[in-house]
Amino acid sequence: MSTILTIEKIRKRYGEVEALADVSLTVQGGEFFTLLGPSGCGKTTLLRCVAGFLRPDAGRILCNGERLDTLPAHLRDIGMVFQNYAIFPHLTVFENVAYGLRARRVPPAELRHRAIEALRLVQMEPLADRRPDQLSGGQQQRVALARAMAIRPRLLLMDEPLSNLDAKLRVEMRTEIRRLQRDLGITTIYVTHDQEEALAISERLAVINAGRVEQVGFPWDVYQAPTSAFVAQFIGTSNALRGTVVGTEGEWARVEIGGWMLRARRAGVAAGQVLAVFRPEAVELLPEGGNIPGATLGEGVVANREFLGAILRYRLRLADGSLIHLDEHKPDPARLRKEGERVRFAVRPNDVMLFPADG
Amino acid sequence: MRNRWDIWTSVTGIAFALLAVLLIIPLGRLLWASLLGDDGGFTLKHYRAFLAYPYYSRTIGHSFLVSGLVTLAALVVAVPVAFLLARVDIPGKAVLKSLAILPLVSPPFIGAYSWILLFGRAGYVTTLLQNVGLTIPTVYGMHGIVLALTLNLYPFVLLMVAGALQALDQSLEEAAQGLGSRPWRVFWTVTVPVTMPSVLGGALLVFLTAFADFGAPMIIGEGYQVLPTIVYSLFVNEMGGNPAMASTGATLLVLCTTAILLVQYWAVSRKRYAMTQHRPAPPVRPRPLVRGLLTGCAYLVIGLSLVPALVVVVTSFFESRGPVLYPNFSLGNYREVLFNVPRAIANSFVLSSVSTLLDVLLGTLIAYLVVRRRSLTTAALDSCVMIPYAIPGTVIGVAFIVAFNKPPIVLTGTFLILLLAYFVRRLPYSVRAGSAILHQIDPSVEEASISLGVSPLKSFAKVTARLMLPGIVSGGILTWVQTITEISATIFLYFGAWSTITVVIYRQVSSSNFGSAAAASTILLVAVFIPVLMVNWMMGERAVTAV
Repeated sequence: MSTILTIEKIRKRYGEVEALADVSLTVQGGEFFTLLGPSGCGKTTLLRCVAGFLRPDAGRILCNGERLDTLPAHLRDIGMVFQNYAIFPHLTVFENVAYGLRARRVPPAELRHRAIEALRLVQMEPLADRRPDQLSGGQQQRVALARAMAIRPRLLLMDEPLSNLDAKLRVEMRTEIRRLQRDLGITTIYVTHDQEEALAISERLAVINAGRVEQVGFPWDVYQAPTSAFVAQFIGTSNALRGTVVGTEGEWARVEIGGWMLRARRAGVAAGQVLAVFRPEAVELLPEGGNIPGATLGEGVVANREFLGAILRYRLRLADGSLIHLDEHKPDPARLRKEGERVRFAVRPNDVMLFPADG
Repeated sequence: MRNRWDIWTSVTGIAFALLAVLLIIPLGRLLWASLLGDDGGFTLKHYRAFLAYPYYSRTIGHSFLVSGLVTLAALVVAVPVAFLLARVDIPGKAVLKSLAILPLVSPPFIGAYSWILLFGRAGYVTTLLQNVGLTIPTVYGMHGIVLALTLNLYPFVLLMVAGALQALDQSLEEAAQGLGSRPWRVFWTVTVPVTMPSVLGGALLVFLTAFADFGAPMIIGEGYQVLPTIVYSLFVNEMGGNPAMASTGATLLVLCTTAILLVQYWAVSRKRYAMTQHRPAPPVRPRPLVRGLLTGCAYLVIGLSLVPALVVVVTSFFESRGPVLYPNFSLGNYREVLFNVPRAIANSFVLSSVSTLLDVLLGTLIAYLVVRRRSLTTAALDSCVMIPYAIPGTVIGVAFIVAFNKPPIVLTGTFLILLLAYFVRRLPYSVRAGSAILHQIDPSVEEASISLGVSPLKSFAKVTARLMLPGIVSGGILTWVQTITEISATIFLYFGAWSTITVVIYRQVSSSNFGSAAAASTILLVAVFIPVLMVNWMMGERAVTAV
């Protein structure tokens, strides 16, 4: 795979607000690349800069080595799927899909063939003559997708395309979008604030926060080896406790958290105030008198519990009042812990990540 | 793209240039004329004179009194009917609401003329009662103006309040009930405060329109002068007119209307309740007797406001000799009008069509700029373009004469001066109609077109303008209707061959040619009612907001 899109030090300000601060990224040909971040982080601004609806204050965008940012939006040959679909309400489904082809003066026979083909891909061929107001949200979404793909764009941009669908349809559609993208090999940049969606669908993703790229990587890297406290807390559920490094032993650091001593991987941070982050699934409930060699043991009171199907999630209140999540997989109904019950747990030092506390 | 010349930059430039020439210069010249002494120096003596002589100064009081009474009467008539239409199951409600729009678009001077036909010196009712030995006071003067204007303007309140009541979510009143309020208390603590902005908004609109109206007081007021009519009298005085005093009166008039508009702005914009949901309360269906009574009331009120149109239409088919009408069917009045003043009728249609077309064209582009290209410049444009809204036709008339009767721009006596006056007066309405519909169109639809490879300008035309079309068309029709019924500026600006149908009606009424006046009025009313009913049918209730 070769680099198709290069974003170089893009900067964009709105008055006093820095929407994008020197953002640089590269996207490979045929890749499904996601921009993930909380609302207002700048991900949509970045996408709109690539689409040509916004002009960056500084920086360059290159596509296959040629300047993209100096080109007007309608000459960029980039397909876009909008959050609210942006279907042309006055045109039929077929005409919506044919719109971009007509702009390209595709001959009638080929136009028909390509539009129908695009509709077939999203299983909307039978509804080609419908008017948009007769379509459900999911169907409009499919038309928007077909319309963007029909022009065979060099890049497909998707701006939170699933956020207006209900939860079940959202999961179905994301699988389908990914399948289509893979089959057609269209390089896709996908914007979402939903980290679960991003992990499920992306080949690679960039976590964006406050106009900056926090981390770029494969989904499992971003989940398992976050490079910043923000990423660690934004992706998945995390326990984040403030503490102080009081000593080190080899590759381990000892962190004092409200009187509790936690052992953690040193990895970079070795002194001072730290944020100790570990996943709920890294916390293990211990039976009476149980022990895990090398792990930090702790004690807490069950504040509440949530049954989430595959897992049972406890919230434990520690001695200093802070709360942590604990996930139990395949919970045994006979051994449920009640609210208010005192429990013992263990955290393996390898599962604890340390970040500078001011982050 | 920013920082680059495009068509929108030129549109902004053209819009500002037009507003400068058609608004800023005339108003500036008007003010200047009112401050110019005989020696060519600055003086306040015209203002002193205007305020010192009761002959002038009382017209200010008259204007406020008439508008106040009209507003009050409109509230008394309209608010109960609004509640009936919104909350009671009345048969034929939709038709009633459509009919209620008709008085709004029929020019008040036709209403005034019709009341003269009924209750004037030789009116049908007056004569009828005289024959049985009864004498009633004539309809001329203040009460006549109030009567005519009230029945013309109360639908503003009616439609706005009925709209607010329908937009009032049922759960709001249910919540109040659930919290233990009695129905009467619910009404006073929830329904009234929430509909108050609409009541106030409608009332101020009535006040402003009544204040600026020239036609009704001119026709039915006789000696009772209000600000717009005194300005006209000062201008066309047999002694050659007094442009300085007329300009002074016009300036005072525009100061008053601006003040009223500011009050309206302040009162309405501060208090607007956004309804998150929309589930109107179902209409109640009272016992048959009560229902019949309430239905009768609603029909009576709306029927009463349609009486003028009916009287005029019927009269137009009577045989006539001057002010004397004979109840025999005849097309003589139409023959007379069509033979004597075909040019005026054609003028009216052509002038209002062309000026409406220009309004729609520029108004749509300005609306797009204001809504989609937000910047300090377009915000300024938005404010400037709304100025004509505060300026009565009378003031436009005087200001255009003062500004364009000597070089560098001489327009007086041409059709262009009428066209431009109409154009600038109605431009705000087109901009509002355009921006209202534009707010309902998602910007991303246009972006989708651009991303599919269609240039921004073409995308605007193929997508946005196309989607704006229903709003543009209905806004255009309403603009057209308002333009063809224009009299207050026309009366100053028309010249010889460029007379219009409204001027013809006014002249015929003044010279007591009641028959041909009725025929001309009927032609005008038909020309106005048909498109309005069509828009109403096309747009449903949304049409109301654009009137």
